Amino acid sequence: MEQPSNQSLPGDDRHWPTLPQIVLLGDSALLVRFGQSLDDAANRAALVFAARLEADGIVGVVEIVPSLVSVLVRYDPAQVGVARLSGELALRLSGDGAFGESRTHRIAVRFDGPDIGEVAALLGLSIDGFVEAHNRGGMRVLATGFAPGFVYCGFHEQALAVPRRTLVRPQVSAGSVLFAAGQTAIAATDIPTGWHVIGHTQFRNFDPTVNPPTQLRAGDQIIFEVVL
Amino acid sequence: MDIDAHRLAGALAGASDKTGIELTRAGLDLLVESGGLTVGWAGGAFDVQLNGERRPWPGSASIAAGDRLCIAPGAAGNYGYLRFGKKLDLPMVLGSRATSTRARLGGLEGRALRAGDVLNFSEEGGTVQSVCSPDPPEAGPVRFVWGIHADKFAAGIRRKFVETPFRVTSAMDRMGVRLADEGGVFAGSSILSLISDPILPGDIQILGDGTPIVLMRDHQPTGGYPRIGTIVSADLGRFAQIRSGEAVVFAPVSVDHAHQLMRSGRP
Repeated sequence: MEQPSNQSLPGDDRHWPTLPQIVLLGDSALLVRFGQSLDDAANRAALVFAARLEADGIVGVVEIVPSLVSVLVRYDPAQVGVARLSGELALRLSGDGAFGESRTHRIAVRFDGPDIGEVAALLGLSIDGFVEAHNRGGMRVLATGFAPGFVYCGFHEQALAVPRRTLVRPQVSAGSVLFAAGQTAIAATDIPTGWHVIGHTQFRNFDPTVNPPTQLRAGDQIIFEVVL
Repeated sequence: MDIDAHRLAGALAGASDKTGIELTRAGLDLLVESGGLTVGWAGGAFDVQLNGERRPWPGSASIAAGDRLCIAPGAAGNYGYLRFGKKLDLPMVLGSRATSTRARLGGLEGRALRAGDVLNFSEEGGTVQSVCSPDPPEAGPVRFVWGIHADKFAAGIRRKFVETPFRVTSAMDRMGVRLADEGGVFAGSSILSLISDPILPGDIQILGDGTPIVLMRDHQPTGGYPRIGTIVSADLGRFAQIRSGEAVVFAPVSVDHAHQLMRSGRP
């Protein structure tokens, strides 16, 4: 296991160490990294690890936030030191990566986004052919983030990967279904985005009056259904 | 943005909870319509007048119906704080009475205050406290710990980063503060964007064109630009108060040192 090591940085141009890796992030957080690029196995490992930390309730840990391929662990330095906490984390890095229970959500989408024709053409598909390919096979919520209730779902097969738009739209409406980088994302609030808008849904993954305010969690299965 | 100033204003007001008003250099003009309460103010160096009479900043007062409190930007700082002995009557949203203007949550319709708004207070409480104002924060370098992508920058760039002053620009808000790299520290260094990882307040990220941005309290949760360092918790409030046009120099410290600074800053 790598100990937190980024205090000895200057002059140290080594390559990435073995993963997973525990690194210091500022003076009140550690980051546990499972990958350096978007990777299905790393995403699964991060989600499993975050769930294990939540279940264990380590003293001094203030917040646990899974991301695409890493887990943020915020701590209170008055309650726990870096050495002790990294030891506690390292202990929980061993063991198998079995997923706990994940829920399945069916999300109805009207595939009427302004960019769907361009995306289909980029992939050499008709619009119907693209929608069929997009919905084939289930997807998983890889991470939440960016904006309240925003979810990243993946992964599409490599053949469906398209880059982001060169121009950012200053605002797309809540319920926009977005597509780029081998993933589909769902906006729960009005946001700016450089992703392609391929459709819209009535589903809103954010309601601040409800606890918890979101229904979709990282690790959940998503099935997209077409509404006309 | 400046937690130390928020805390001091609360101590001066004898505040019974953490609610308060953060004000920018736009200033603020308040009229007490009915009742009375204690109020404390701190953060930067604003000009405050009670019924036309200048009062010291930081400071406190008991105010009652008919009193008028006027705050205008003063000699230094970007953010001032008003705290009250009584609790501001605001909805609890997601476990907090704070306002997020970016997510349009909490406070008054999730937005900044505007002329004509009426604020109500619940519960009695609060007596003006005489609190020794701490010495103004020491000037000098803003301290940081090396970040999760520091080893993506060449050793020469890291050395220049700690030797070269940057200038704070007017492109600043609660999400981030853009710096001018007049010394050309990051000119010509291009690092491809990385996988998105979680962001923390104080992270110093370098955009593709070499522009440094310090991410502040309302930062986005994740980001894919390389981060060379993170400003230590003890210095983030002081950094937030640096006005556009002023210079800032960064100095690296260890995480252990950052923790010592946090402990010594606690009342």
